[in-house]
Amino acid sequence: MTARHVGPLLEIKGIKTHFFTQDGVVKAVDDVTFEIGHGQTLGVVGESGCGKSITSLSVMRLIERPGKIVAGEIRLNGENLLDKTDADMRDIRGDQVSMIFQEPMTSLNPVFTCGDQIAEAVQQHTAVSRREAMDRAVEMLRVVGIPDPKRRAAEHPHQLSGGMRQRVMIAMALSTDPDLLIADEPTTALDVTIQAQILEVMRDLREKNRMAIMLITHDLGVVAEMADEVVVMYAGKVVERADVRTVFGSPHHPYTQGLLLSIPRLDERRERLEVIKGTVPSPLNLPEGCLFKRRCPHRMRVCDTAPPYQEVGSGHFSRCWLTPAGEAPDVGADAEGEEAQHAAEQLTVGAR
Amino acid sequence: MNDEGQTMTPTGATPGGDGVPQPGDEMSGGRTSAERAADRGGSAAAPLLEVDNLVKHFDIRGGLLGVSKLGAVRAVDGVSFSVTEGETLGLVGESGCGKTTLGKVILRLLPPTAGKVNFEGKSLFDLSSRELKAARRDIQVVFQDPYASLNPRMSVGEIVGEGLYVHGMTNKKERESAVRDLLKRVGLNQAHIHRYPHEFSGGQRQRIGIARALALRPRFIVCDEPVSALDVSIQSQVLNLLSDLQDEFQLTYLFIAHNLAVVKHLSTRVGVMYLGKLVELSDADELYRSPAHPYTKALLSAIPVPDPTVRRERIVLKGDLPSPANPPSGCRFHTRCPMAQEICKVEEPPLRDVGGGHLSACHFAEEVTPLGSERTSAQSA
Ligand SMILES: Nc1ncnc2c1ncn2[C@@H]1O[C@H](COP(=O)(O)OP(=O)(O)OP(=O)(O)O)[C@@H](O)[C@H]1O
Ligand SMILES: Nc1ncnc2c1ncn2[C@@H]1O[C@H](COP(=O)(O)OP(=O)(O)O)[C@@H](O)[C@H]1O
Ligand code: SF4
Ligand code: SF4
Ligand SMILES: [Mg+2]
Ligand SMILES: [Mg+2]
Repeated sequence: MTARHVGPLLEIKGIKTHFFTQDGVVKAVDDVTFEIGHGQTLGVVGESGCGKSITSLSVMRLIERPGKIVAGEIRLNGENLLDKTDADMRDIRGDQVSMIFQEPMTSLNPVFTCGDQIAEAVQQHTAVSRREAMDRAVEMLRVVGIPDPKRRAAEHPHQLSGGMRQRVMIAMALSTDPDLLIADEPTTALDVTIQAQILEVMRDLREKNRMAIMLITHDLGVVAEMADEVVVMYAGKVVERADVRTVFGSPHHPYTQGLLLSIPRLDERRERLEVIKGTVPSPLNLPEGCLFKRRCPHRMRVCDTAPPYQEVGSGHFSRCWLTPAGEAPDVGADAEGEEAQHAAEQLTVGAR
Repeated sequence: MNDEGQTMTPTGATPGGDGVPQPGDEMSGGRTSAERAADRGGSAAAPLLEVDNLVKHFDIRGGLLGVSKLGAVRAVDGVSFSVTEGETLGLVGESGCGKTTLGKVILRLLPPTAGKVNFEGKSLFDLSSRELKAARRDIQVVFQDPYASLNPRMSVGEIVGEGLYVHGMTNKKERESAVRDLLKRVGLNQAHIHRYPHEFSGGQRQRIGIARALALRPRFIVCDEPVSALDVSIQSQVLNLLSDLQDEFQLTYLFIAHNLAVVKHLSTRVGVMYLGKLVELSDADELYRSPAHPYTKALLSAIPVPDPTVRRERIVLKGDLPSPANPPSGCRFHTRCPMAQEICKVEEPPLRDVGGGHLSACHFAEEVTPLGSERTSAQSA
């Protein structure tokens, strides 16, 4: 592990990742900024298509054509990953950052045994013998809670259940002791009982290794349980960001509020669920101004102008025209044009 | 779905025969299920659907010659329950426990290995072809995958109208107006009748699937994970639609899902399956308040609470689901059960009433305690 630099482990500053498709430019990630401290868990939530996966793939520098990171900085331990060569990136991936994907089968090689694949990853990053690497692989399988790890190491991925495959993925991602683990929907395809096992493994390892986690999920329950801080994304942008208790206890953005109200909960009985009307806009047909306005119950005329990214509380940010108290902005609910734009600039924080 | 009190007026179809039900008959809103049951001369409590000791095994063939029977996947292994008219019976359980298979046997999409299913007192497995056609109209299905379950080469109008055609509504104009009405009812734009499935989002496709299921004005709908593939905001829209339609058309649902919070929201009663068996069945609120089976309790505890200030007791089950081709002896849950005793390995616990119609298949059902949770202080970090 490299010496720790002072400041956050990961700093993402204004990244834009766009896809240049035949039908037009898809702004999958559009000016996203956040950071993750050493040992911290950041939850990234939002509905499908809002840019969660593309954000994480951008950090890994795994964006393929027609996609391109067109602006911003991604600093890991203080160094901008966008300045690195492909060879540097291969070392950084695995050594400092590892990623687990939603569908474990697509990222495990069916023709090699699980043990071989983990040992291979170990050898790529540390100068050890094959034997030592294999021992490490078996040890990692044990750490992630696979019973009889020696026998399992000799098996092929298809011989394992979905939950076990996901644990093999985690074992592989952690075998090199990364500073940051990016987990993209790591439990979405699994049953709740298996999900509970995997989350426990992740919590355990986070404590032992002081590893930071960027946890991408659309399950608000998983976020409430795992995250220290939360970023809510909508149509390629961060619309709200705060510590986990604030996001769940006093959300500011109408989208976050709607999401929290629309989930059925075990501990209460409601006749009807609240709904967010409509659907996520097509990335090729985004509305002017606030991207959420077609679905927002608080929509005002001023929302036709892109809203400010305000600090509505200490460390609590929201991309919305409503004041921290949830009222119409000082510039007026009907403001438009330059007046509104100017007000938005005044209210917007640099978001550090 | 807000036009209260309006009945579906699709047709002017030919009366009688296998034809489409008339506007104003059975499906009209306003009457209670008891009144409707009385109309048919049944008692209010008579079940609409009765499943009796249903078994569905899939043979595993292979061996050196490729023909010998190596064993069987015991997907559904002796399940009994009944569903009362107008209620929603939820069915939950881990992947592979047999929920879909059970639904398919009820829908007559798969032949049973053994057991009976009665619909309005008549065995579904011994119907004449004419009776079967009528039953197919009464019992419909909405599937999980809104992408795979709609034929990509058929327009929305054709998908929703197909059943109407098969059941005798051959006039194209009539059919189109019926389909338009259905689209409106499920909250879709009627102008989109000529569009194809790929032009719709997941939630909209699920609405198309629901319109298709409703077309023949069924009495009973099997909903197999109807919202699992949808985003949360869309999921709540579809769940509300399903409960509105239930009120409006007096539907009875078998609602299959693995998300217990979703099932609880919609269901009157909930059944829990494990490895092809029903292990618990009870009133929905009661099941969550005081589960009587260790597996149910573990399932409940595993659901993450969307509230960072609440810490619920967490029971992490050991190991994976055993293979349904080779289920454990005695109680099938004994390999993972935190309460297992010696007797559990040898003696299979029967599904029994542990009080007030609450059924559980556990030797120690009375000792299962409610799930604990605590609220952590809002200030602490
Ligand atoms: N056609 C088939 N041939 C052989 N085995 C089958 C077949 N269909 C299902 N099975 C097996 O039967 C068991 C029950 O499957 P089923 O699809 O009913 O599960 P489920 O409870 O609906 O799961 P999920 O939550 O994943 O949808 C599984 O072990 C499955 O692999
Ligand atoms: N290869 C690609 N070409 C064009 N658009 C893409 C590509 N990959 C992703 N997108 C678009 O980028 C947006 C964000 O996608 P993604 O990050 O995968 O969302 P999610 O939040 O579900 O992970 C979506 O609108 C998606 O359609
Ligand atoms: S800016 Fe306006 S439309 Fe957008 S979320 Fe805030 S109130 Fe709603
Ligand atoms: S019968 Fe025994 S093994 Fe089965 S659920 Fe009850 S205590 Fe557990
Ligand atoms: Mg994704
Ligand atoms: Mg299924």
